[in-house]
Amino acid sequence: MTDALREFTPLFEPKTVAVVGASTKSAALPNIFIKRIQKLGFKGPIYPIHPTAAEIDGLPAYKTLADTPEPVDYAFIAIAAAQVAPLIEAAKGRVRFAQVVSSGFGEVEEGKFLQEALIVAAKASGTRVLGPNCLGIYTPRGKITFTDNCPPEPGSIGIISQSGGLGTDIIRRGINRGLGFSGLVSVGNAADVNPNDLLEYYLADPQTQVIGMYLETAKDGRRLFNILRAAQAQKPVVILKGGRTAQGLAAAASHTGSLAGDERAWLALSAQTGCVLAETLEDFLDMLGAFQRLTPRPDHPIHRVVLFGNGGGTSVLATDFFARVGLDVIPFEAPTLGALAALKLPPGSSITNPVDCPVGTLQQDEGRVAQKILDAIYSHGAPDALVVHLNMVAFAGRTKPEVLDNLMQAVVRVQSQYPNQSHFVLVLRSDGDPEIEARKRDFRARAVALGIPVFDEMSNAGRALAALAQVERFRRARKLA
Amino acid sequence: MNADALIEQGKARGSLDEHAGKALLTAYGVAVPQSVVVTSPDAVDGALATLKPPFVVKVMSPDILHKSDVGGVKVGLADAAAVVDAIRTMQAVPAIAKARVDGFLVEEMAPRGVEVVIGGVRDGDFGPMVMVGLGGIFVEVLKDVAFRICPITRVDAAEMLDELKGAKILDGARGGIKASREAIVDTLLKVGGENGLLLKHAATIREADINPLIVSERGAVAADARFILG
Repeated sequence: MTDALREFTPLFEPKTVAVVGASTKSAALPNIFIKRIQKLGFKGPIYPIHPTAAEIDGLPAYKTLADTPEPVDYAFIAIAAAQVAPLIEAAKGRVRFAQVVSSGFGEVEEGKFLQEALIVAAKASGTRVLGPNCLGIYTPRGKITFTDNCPPEPGSIGIISQSGGLGTDIIRRGINRGLGFSGLVSVGNAADVNPNDLLEYYLADPQTQVIGMYLETAKDGRRLFNILRAAQAQKPVVILKGGRTAQGLAAAASHTGSLAGDERAWLALSAQTGCVLAETLEDFLDMLGAFQRLTPRPDHPIHRVVLFGNGGGTSVLATDFFARVGLDVIPFEAPTLGALAALKLPPGSSITNPVDCPVGTLQQDEGRVAQKILDAIYSHGAPDALVVHLNMVAFAGRTKPEVLDNLMQAVVRVQSQYPNQSHFVLVLRSDGDPEIEARKRDFRARAVALGIPVFDEMSNAGRALAALAQVERFRRARKLA
Repeated sequence: MNADALIEQGKARGSLDEHAGKALLTAYGVAVPQSVVVTSPDAVDGALATLKPPFVVKVMSPDILHKSDVGGVKVGLADAAAVVDAIRTMQAVPAIAKARVDGFLVEEMAPRGVEVVIGGVRDGDFGPMVMVGLGGIFVEVLKDVAFRICPITRVDAAEMLDELKGAKILDGARGGIKASREAIVDTLLKVGGENGLLLKHAATIREADINPLIVSERGAVAADARFILG
C-alpha cells in the first residue's frame, strides 16, 4: 500500500463524520449535507457540532470536535471563516480530514491571514484540510456526497476539481451520459491537500481506472510533472485546464522566452507524460467516458476508424472531422468490399468505409443484418475503432424498438467474436424533439448497461477516440505495453 | 573554466556573453566553432594561427543585444588582414564606438547547414523547459516551435522534431541541405536532458537561445548562444 493510499483511505471511506454549522431551526447547508449522506446510505455515526443544542435533526449534538464519542475521520465545516481555525485547535487532534466549505479565506485579500491561521492550526493538530472555499466530496464507497441525485454504486473515474460548481456539473452531467465515479473531491483553494496529493491517491487506488482533473493553477507544477511522468499514462489522466493562455513571458529577453507561455507548458506536459488535455467540459466528460470503457492498446494504436450507420452527410462530415483530429476513415480494400458486396444490400447503401445504410437496410431481419455487415468488416477490414451512429429521428415512427436492440446486440456479439481487435463506440443522434430525446435516453441507458460508450455527435466520439489514440501512441513510442 | 565558474562570473552582468556562453555549451559537449578573442586590431597578428579560414568576427559588448543589427558581425573573412579591417570598421560604427566593448570574437565559419534554434526558459510552474524550432521565419514569424519540460528523453526529443510543421526541411525538402536529426536530438539532450545544462543550472539560467545551431548531415555546431541569468 502506498503512503497516499494509506493516508487518504479514511477520506474516501470515513467511519465517522462530524458536521459543523448545522442549524437547529433551518435547513442550512450542513443540515442538507446530513440528509444527503443519510440518503446515499452512510451508516456510521454522524456528529453535529453545536455550541448549545443538545440535538440536531434527531442526532445528539456535541459542543466541540473534542467531545465526540469517537475520533472524526471526516468533518464537514460550514461556519464563518474566522471561527474555523479555533474550531480545529479545539478538536485536539481528533479530526483526520476537515473539509472547509466556508469561503472568505485566501481567495480574498482580507482572508489570507485566516487561511494561514487555519493551516497552522491544522498542522499543529495533524488534521488535513480540504479547501477552504469548496463544496465537498462525493465518494460512493464511503457514502458521502455534496450533491443530490448521485448513485451509491462506485464507478472507476476519480475526479479532482478546483471548482466546486464545476464538480457538481461533472457528476450530474457525467452520470447522465453513463460515467461512474470512484470519487470526486472539490479542493477549492487547496491550502493544504492539493490536486497532486489526490492524484497520487487515485493512481494508487485500485477502484480508480481513469483520472480527471479540473485545474486552474498548477499548484507545484514540477511535482505534477514528476508524478505524471512516473505514472507513464498507465491509468489515463484527462486534464481540463482553466486559464491557459498563449502569451509569452511578460518580460522576455530571448526569442525562447517570448515564445513560451502557459499554453506551451501544458501541451508539453501532455506530450511528455501521456496525459490528455480537454478543451471544454464536454470534451472532458466524453474523454473520461471513453477511457472508462475502452482500454488503450499500445500494441496497435488506432489507425483505421470504421464508420457504420445511417446518414450519408453525417458520414462525410465525420470523415473530415476525424481526419482533423488525426484519425483516418480509410476506405476498405478489395476483400472487405467483396465480402460486403456479397451481402447484396439494397440500393442506397454504401459499402466503402464509411459504411452508410438507410434505415430500411438496417431494419432487415429486424436489425440482425448488422451482424453480417460487421462480420464482413471485422474479418477482412482490420478496424481499430468502430463508430456506429444512429440517427434516432430516422428510426422514429416506423421501427419497432427491438430493431435498435437487435442492432446493438449484433455489435456486442461481433465484438466478442473478435476480442481485442477494435474499440467500439456508439453515437446516438437526436433532433432535440422531446419524444426522440426520451427514446434516445432509454436507448443510451441500455447501451451503457452493456458497457458501450455513447456520444451525442460524431465530433464528440472523434475527440474521445483521438484522446484514446494519443495515449496508445504515447505508450507505444515508449515501448510501454 | 568549468560550468559553475562561468555562470558565477556572468552573474554580475546578468548574462553570459557569447564567448562564455559557448564555453558553457562546450562543457556540456555541444560543439561550437573554434575561436579566439582579441581586444584590438593590433592583437590579430599571430592570434589566428590555430583557426582555419574563412573567419567570422563578432563584437562582444554587454550593451549590444543584437550584434548584427548594428553591424557588429562580419562573415566570410578570408585571412587575418580581412579580420583586422573588419574590426576597424566595427570600431568606427557609432553604436559600437560608444558601447563598452569587451573584445572581438574571431571564429571559424560554421559549415553550411540548416539553421535550427534551441532555447531554454524557466517556467514559473514547471521549471526549466527546452525549445526547438527551425531558424529564420519559422521561429520568428510562424512561431513553429516545440517546447518540453526538462528533463526530456530521447523519445521526447525526437517527438519535438516531429511536431514541427517545417520538419521536412530537415530532410532536405525542395532540394535543400539535409540535416541530421540525430545531431539535433543529441544537442537537445545535452541542453534539456537528465544531465543537461538547463536542469543542472535551473536556479541560475532564466532564458537561453542557441540561435542558430547549424546542422548538416554530419553534425551540429552552435554558431551563437545567449544565456540570461537570474
